[in-house]
Amino acid sequence: MEALEMFTSDRNADVYTEELKLNLGPQHPSTHGVLRVELAMDGEIITDSWCDIGYLHRCAEKIGENVTYLQFTPYTDRMDYLASMNNNLAWSLTVEKLLDVEAPERAQWIRALVAELNRIASHLIAFGTYGIDLGANTPFFYAFRERESIMQLLEKISGARMLYNFIRPGGVANDIDDAWMDEVSAFCDDFEKRWVEYNTLLTDNFVFIQRTANIGILTKELALSNGCTGPVLRASGVKWDLRRDVPYLEPYDECEFDIPVGEGTHGTLGDCWDRYWVRMREMIESVRIIRQCIEKIPPGAHMEKSMVKMYKTPLKPPPGEAYVRCENPRGELGFYVVSEGGNSPIRCRTRAPSFCNLSVLDKLLPGTMLGDAVATIGSLDIVLGEVDR
Amino acid sequence: MGILNNTLPSNTVTDAVDGVIGWGRKSSIWPMTFGIACCAIEMMAVYAATFDLDRFGAGVPRATPRQSDLIIVPGTVNAKMAVRVKRLYDQMAEPRYVIAMGACVCGGGPYVKWGYNTVKGVHKIIPVDIFVPGCPPRPEALMDGILKLRDKIGMNDVFRRQKETAESMNRSYGHL
Amino acid sequence: MNEAGLHAKLGAAGIDGIGELDTSAKDPFVVVEADALVAVMTFLRDDPDCAMEMLHLVTATEREACIELAYHLCSYQHHHSFVVKVICPRPEGGNHDTWHPEVPSVAGVFDAADWHEREQWDLLGVVFAGHPDPRRILLPEEWIGHPLRKDFVYPSFLGDVPLELDATPMYERGPDWTPPSSEPRPAGEPLIQPPSPPSDRPHAGGQAPAKDEAPADAADTGKEG
Repeated sequence: MEALEMFTSDRNADVYTEELKLNLGPQHPSTHGVLRVELAMDGEIITDSWCDIGYLHRCAEKIGENVTYLQFTPYTDRMDYLASMNNNLAWSLTVEKLLDVEAPERAQWIRALVAELNRIASHLIAFGTYGIDLGANTPFFYAFRERESIMQLLEKISGARMLYNFIRPGGVANDIDDAWMDEVSAFCDDFEKRWVEYNTLLTDNFVFIQRTANIGILTKELALSNGCTGPVLRASGVKWDLRRDVPYLEPYDECEFDIPVGEGTHGTLGDCWDRYWVRMREMIESVRIIRQCIEKIPPGAHMEKSMVKMYKTPLKPPPGEAYVRCENPRGELGFYVVSEGGNSPIRCRTRAPSFCNLSVLDKLLPGTMLGDAVATIGSLDIVLGEVDR
Repeated sequence: MGILNNTLPSNTVTDAVDGVIGWGRKSSIWPMTFGIACCAIEMMAVYAATFDLDRFGAGVPRATPRQSDLIIVPGTVNAKMAVRVKRLYDQMAEPRYVIAMGACVCGGGPYVKWGYNTVKGVHKIIPVDIFVPGCPPRPEALMDGILKLRDKIGMNDVFRRQKETAESMNRSYGHL
Repeated sequence: MNEAGLHAKLGAAGIDGIGELDTSAKDPFVVVEADALVAVMTFLRDDPDCAMEMLHLVTATEREACIELAYHLCSYQHHHSFVVKVICPRPEGGNHDTWHPEVPSVAGVFDAADWHEREQWDLLGVVFAGHPDPRRILLPEEWIGHPLRKDFVYPSFLGDVPLELDATPMYERGPDWTPPSSEPRPAGEPLIQPPSPPSDRPHAGGQAPAKDEAPADAADTGKEG
């Protein structure tokens, strides 16, 4: 009886609790690499958090100042290694802006096609690993099955499985043929069916919704002030996509596609479920773009003729600077390159979308439960190679 | 098992027991869930359905170093991370094995020249059993590395007294 | 609104120290005085015609004569973008050890500037006055120097972690191996690093780095690698 009274009375009144410092990462399955977060815990509630990054700092900017413009393209692969094509694209556009050249029409369509394929592959990883973060192992195996198909498709045209170095200043490395495009359309047909499977697996799963809805709510103001971009920003209700608003490739101007934004379907606008669902719908929009690219792709050269000559000697852009932004799967990737006329730039600054998206984490975590921290980190979909560079 | 390591002379009985223990060890490698960079994605692909590492008894990644025998180091180790990698390795129980996956971990890779911050190969930090080069290595390459590691584990002597080779020194450096 | 319109709008705001618009650049920019930076940024954010909601990037660039800071802003409402620059001239003989230019922090205007400015302090040694949390971000706290400076000397050790290609592995060191902290710096000059300004946020665990005991980066090779 006494025990029951102890249990039912205000039993917290004379219990002394102490703030606990909890270290999450850098070796932790849910930090998507080597992120380290230090958490101050009051019981199960997070009271404060500090992100600690830099465990994958690989000196990319210093390397950019020492190698030539062409030699730096493979290093951009290794920043956001889940979306190498998109990184190559941003770098190539920057160098082209410095040199005042433009890729031929066909190259632009090929670029859009492979970039969207890579966007699907990247979002598939986000989908699969998010399932693992929240305790659902099956989506991982489904996601990697489709991802393998994309890897094989891209390997056929570029020769590499993951880090392609395919889009280069002036165009693309190889032309694509009709047989390959047929394979891509077959993949698209297949993928749309699989996508419905994913939704039955994870999206509409009751447990999944309970774990993600109303968790990690990122308001529009906070997202904008912290420089969040991409699906993270769109899930907070801002309809902004560089592909539509500042089309940096011709196909994005001509193709029809929607910009999915968060609607707060199962909870509040800007929660983890919204971010997840924006990514899922973006995959289908990418399939739409790919189909239109295959339909409309014009004949022509895949590489700018004047650039082929320039490739024999190191590119020497005139003094100046260029800042180019591209819509990557994780947000807006920007390269700011300052040239003084030499073989290599004197400054090669990267605006990494994950870096800015991650900076909001310290503001999202306080007040939530520890289990929700994992859900929040997973929904931001960071790539540490890009955060640290 | 560590207490019996290298204590007995070689004879028929110890040879047979060695064979059984080696077979057991090599058929149930538990790798650690540990991803650093690009190579980690290829490592995940090896665990996933298409390549299915579970065929070789190594498909159950453990989340903690204390439960795992194998640490695959998949990606560039920099000065800040090296301390952690060494600590993770020190936490693993004997026998423990290391696969260096990728060019950065084998010897610096693309970051060898201007990487002010990167460790030029994880073998500067922890002893490595198998090197799998490539940037990133294909999943087949990693699987080959794991098969090579299986052979290596199977040939390891458990009871027999070993010569003090450089390799056995490496193996026992954790006790120093 | 294009850059000329934004510049005219900025000029009409009555802030001192706003330079001319450089239209010859690919992305036209305006150079402002360091003292005017916070006022300029606040104006660009709050003015309804400018409405720069987002600070994209803070970049420090080391040139021969100066370190130049570029702030890339963009507006989602009006689909325009703008570049603001601050120039910190290099003093006589200012090098990576001794010269740390100082500009006011804009972290109070844009939250996004927080991490960008920490990164620029970390890699280029630009001091952002009034930053709420001026710690290093990418490199460990015990790191000495700012690696993106052109005269940065590559270290061969950090603590006892070897950073050279031909270094002896840690497990092959003899028992009498000592960390190379006692080695003198090759140039023979002492390394002076300004103490970090006090942080508003406490250090997230761990202890503050002991600067005196950190090993000197006794590097042999420079950029030739």
